[in-house]
Amino acid sequence: MSSEPIERRVSYLGDRLKASKCQICGKEYFEIRDYCTNCGRKSYMRMSPVDLFYEKGKLEICTLVTEPTNKFTKLESFVYGIVSFHDGKIRVPGRLTDQIITDGEAVDLAALEGREVVPRFRRRYTVSKSDVVPTISLAFTLADEYYPHQEYKVAAQNKEYELPGIVGYGIYTSRFRIREGGLERAVPFMDEDSVTAAVEAGKNALIHSGIDSANIGKVYVGSESNPYAVKPIASKVAQVLKLGEEDGDVQGVDAVDTEFACKAATSMFKDATALINYPGSGIKNTMVIGADNSQAAPRGCPGGELDLFVGYGGAAYVFGKHDVIAEIEGWYSVTSDTPDFWRRDGEPYPMHGGRFTGDPAYFKHVKKATTKLMSKFNLKAQDINYFVPHQPNPAFPVKVARDMGFKEEQYACSLQVNRIGNTYSGCSPVGLAAVLDIAKPDEQILVASYGSGAGSDAYLLRTTKQLPDKRKRQKMNIKYLTANPFVQHVDYTTYRRLKLGM
Amino acid sequence: MQNSPAIVAVGRTKFGEHYGKEPERLIEEAWLTASHNCGLERKDLEACYLSDCFLPITNKLGLEEGFLSELTQLHVPMEVTRSVSAALLTACNAIRAGVYSTVLVGGLEKMTDRWDKIRDDLMLLEDPWSYYAGGTPESNHELMLRAYIKKYGITGNDAEKLNLALAQIAVKNHANATKNEYAQYQRKISVDQVLHARKEARKSLGLYDFAPISDGATALILTSQEKAQKTCNNPINVLGTASATDYLNYPARDDLTHFIASKIAMEKALQMSGLTQKDLQVLELNDQSTVTEMVSLEDLGFCEEGTAWKTIYASCTDYKGYYEVNGKKLFTNLNGGLKADGNPLGATGGAQIFEIFKQLRGEAGPRQATSETPLCYGCSSEFEGFGTKSYVSIFGRSKP
Repeated sequence: MSSEPIERRVSYLGDRLKASKCQICGKEYFEIRDYCTNCGRKSYMRMSPVDLFYEKGKLEICTLVTEPTNKFTKLESFVYGIVSFHDGKIRVPGRLTDQIITDGEAVDLAALEGREVVPRFRRRYTVSKSDVVPTISLAFTLADEYYPHQEYKVAAQNKEYELPGIVGYGIYTSRFRIREGGLERAVPFMDEDSVTAAVEAGKNALIHSGIDSANIGKVYVGSESNPYAVKPIASKVAQVLKLGEEDGDVQGVDAVDTEFACKAATSMFKDATALINYPGSGIKNTMVIGADNSQAAPRGCPGGELDLFVGYGGAAYVFGKHDVIAEIEGWYSVTSDTPDFWRRDGEPYPMHGGRFTGDPAYFKHVKKATTKLMSKFNLKAQDINYFVPHQPNPAFPVKVARDMGFKEEQYACSLQVNRIGNTYSGCSPVGLAAVLDIAKPDEQILVASYGSGAGSDAYLLRTTKQLPDKRKRQKMNIKYLTANPFVQHVDYTTYRRLKLGM
Repeated sequence: MQNSPAIVAVGRTKFGEHYGKEPERLIEEAWLTASHNCGLERKDLEACYLSDCFLPITNKLGLEEGFLSELTQLHVPMEVTRSVSAALLTACNAIRAGVYSTVLVGGLEKMTDRWDKIRDDLMLLEDPWSYYAGGTPESNHELMLRAYIKKYGITGNDAEKLNLALAQIAVKNHANATKNEYAQYQRKISVDQVLHARKEARKSLGLYDFAPISDGATALILTSQEKAQKTCNNPINVLGTASATDYLNYPARDDLTHFIASKIAMEKALQMSGLTQKDLQVLELNDQSTVTEMVSLEDLGFCEEGTAWKTIYASCTDYKGYYEVNGKKLFTNLNGGLKADGNPLGATGGAQIFEIFKQLRGEAGPRQATSETPLCYGCSSEFEGFGTKSYVSIFGRSKP
C-alpha cells in the first residue's frame, strides 16, 4: 500500500493541495487536470494551477469517526467531513485534527458544519517503522481557534542593504501543552512530528518576510528528531513550500538537513548569509529552520531526566538583502569533542552524560563563544540590549547570563523554555524570535546557541527600522502561541502517547 | 427476439461466515444448485462470466478465470468483473450479439478471510482520497444523510420521522430475512435496537444501519430465449441491463444527496425494457446502508426527491410486507436486503437476481410475495463502490 510511486503522487498533490481551474468556464478540480470536462479539447493547455495551501475552506458537512480504518486507529475518534473551497467550487474530504475526543464524548456536529477551516500539513496515517512516512494536507483545524488563517502575500521590496541579514522569521508550536509545576511545555498532536513543525515554521517565515518562495536558493533544516535516518526533512519542506523556482514537479532549490544536536540550525545562519553574498551565486534568499519533536526516554528510564524539559516546535529564518529586519554584525563559534549528550543510530532516545552537561559542556562553550564575540566587537554586557542564551532547561540560561553580567531585563524576555519546552534545534531560534517580537529598531541582540557534542554559535545582530513595519503581517508570534485561549492541557500519559505519534 | 437473454436457473450459498470452505467450494455449491435446477451440464456452457471484488486480496487469487476453468474443467472463454450485475450485463450483451447461447454468470467473495483489514481495503479501493483523509466505509453514508437533511430542510418532527424511517428499513429487512434460509442474519431486530446502536456510535447511523461483511457465492445460468423455452418451463427474461459511472471521489460529485449513476442506469434500463416504474413490482435495492435504500427509491424514480422517507415511514409504521408507492405495492428487498441477507460484494448482485427469479416464478416459499395482480416484473440495482458504478437490471416473466 505504501508503494513509493503512489506515495510520491499522493504527497505531491495532497501535501500542497494542488488543484486546477479551467480558464474558459472557471470550473475547478482538486488534483491537476490537463483539460476541463465541461470544455473538452479546447481547454487543453488552458488549465491554470490552483493552490489551496494558503486558503481557508468551509467544513460543509461532517460526521464522527469512532471506528477508524486500521491506519487511523491511533487517532481513536475524530471528525471527518467534506471541506469546500472557493464557494463550493472545489470539495475535498478531510478530517479535523488537533482535537482529542474522549470515549463516549458527544460531538455537536451541526455546530461544526459551516465553520471556516484551515488546511494543515500533517502525517497521513500510521505505517510500519520501515515505511515511507506519508503526509497530507487533508487535515484541517478550525480557523477561529488555535491556528489562524494567514494570507501569504509577496510584498514589494524597498530598501536594499549592503550585507544580507534576517528578512523574516516564523515560529510554530502545537496546540497541546503539559503543565507540571511552573513549567509548561508543548506537546505535538498525534499526527505532528519534526517534519510538520519545520514546514509550519517555514510557512510562517514566508508569510512574515513577504518574499517570493521562488527566490529561496537553499534551505537548511536542523533537527535531531527526523523520522528518517536517511532522507532529508529539507526536501519535504522545499516541495511543500515550493521553495526555489518550480519546474514541473521539481523545485530549483538546494535543500539539506544539518545535525549538531541543538545547534544544527544556528550553525547555518552564517552559511545561509554567506551564500547570498557569494559573487554570482544569484541567490536572493535562503532559509534556515530549526525544529524538533524533542526526544526523551520516559521518566525513570536511562535518559529519562530529559523528559522533564522536552518540548515541540521550531523556528525558521529567511535571509536576504532586501528589507532586512536584523543585520548580522558578526559571529563566533567554538567546538570541542565533549560527549555530554548523544543518541546512537537506531536508538529511539538520547542519552545524557550526567555531570558533563553543566560545567564542561553548556557553560564552558556558551561562555567562550559569547566572550570571544564580545571582545571581537569590544563590547561589554551592558552595551547589549538583549542576550539570548540557549535554553535547555529554565536554570542554565539564567545562570550563564548572570555569570556573564547580564541583567534580567536583558535575557528574561528570550526565555521560552518554561512555556513551550526545550525544542532542541529550535530552542535558540525560538528564543531569538521572542526577542525580535518585541525589540525596537537599532538594538543589539546577542544569541548564543549550544549544541551537545559540543559547540556554541554566538551571533551579534542589530535590528533595523523594518522590524516594526513587518510585525503586522505576523499573526502567530510567541505571545499569540503561548497566551492562546485555545491551548489544551494534557496529562502525562496523554503527553507520552501524543509524542510517540502515529 | 430469438437472441434475447433469459435466466433458466439460479443457485446460491448461504451468506455469512464460511470459515471452513474455500472459495472454490462456495462457487461450486452455487453452480451445482443452479445446474441441478435445469437440464444444463458443464459441457453446455459456452462462456463464463465470474465476478469478485476482493479475491486477489482476500485469498491471493489472481487469474480467477483459471481457477474457474480448473473447477469446471472447461476451456471456454471466461471473464472476471467486479459484480454479478456487471457480469450479467456483459453476458447479456454477448447473447444479444448472438455470440453465445448458454452462459454461466457467477459471483463469489470471501471477505471474512481478511476480517482485520477488509475495511481498509474497501475504503481504499472505493475512494483513495477519502481514505487518506481518514474516511471509513461508513462515513460517506453518514455524510450523505447529513447532506440530505440539510438540502431538504428536514427539521424537528420530520427529522425524527426520517430517523425512524431509516431504522424501520433495517427492521423490515431483518424481518424479511427470517424467512430466507440463505440469509446471514435470520433474526428480528427492533427499532429500539437500531436507535440504541446509533446512540452508542454517537452519530446518525449505527451498527444496524449497515450491511455486514460476508462470504458467499451465487450463480445464474443464462441462455437465449429461444434456448430457454426448450430448457425450462418458466424462464425469466432479462428485459433491460444498464450501467453508469460516477467519480470515485464522493466529495467532488455535484450532487451529494443522490447517485447520478443510478438515475442514468435506471433510465436506460427502462428504455431498453419498454417499461416504466409503475410496471415494476419486485425491487431489490443495494442497501449498503439504510440511507442508500432510501435514496435509491428516489434515484430509481419511485419517489420524488426528498420524500422517500415519508413513503417508508407510512409503509413501515404498520408494515404489511411492501412499500406503498402511489397506491401500488412495491415489494422491496424481500430476501432481507444486503443488511440481513448479507453483502459478499462479488456475489451480492446474484442474490438479488436469485430473489427476483424466485419471486416472479412464485417459488419463494415462505417469503413469497402475494399480490392481486400477478407478479410479472422485477428490478435489481447494484453498486460498485459508493455509487461509483451503478447497475440496473430489469426482469420479466415469459408470457404463458
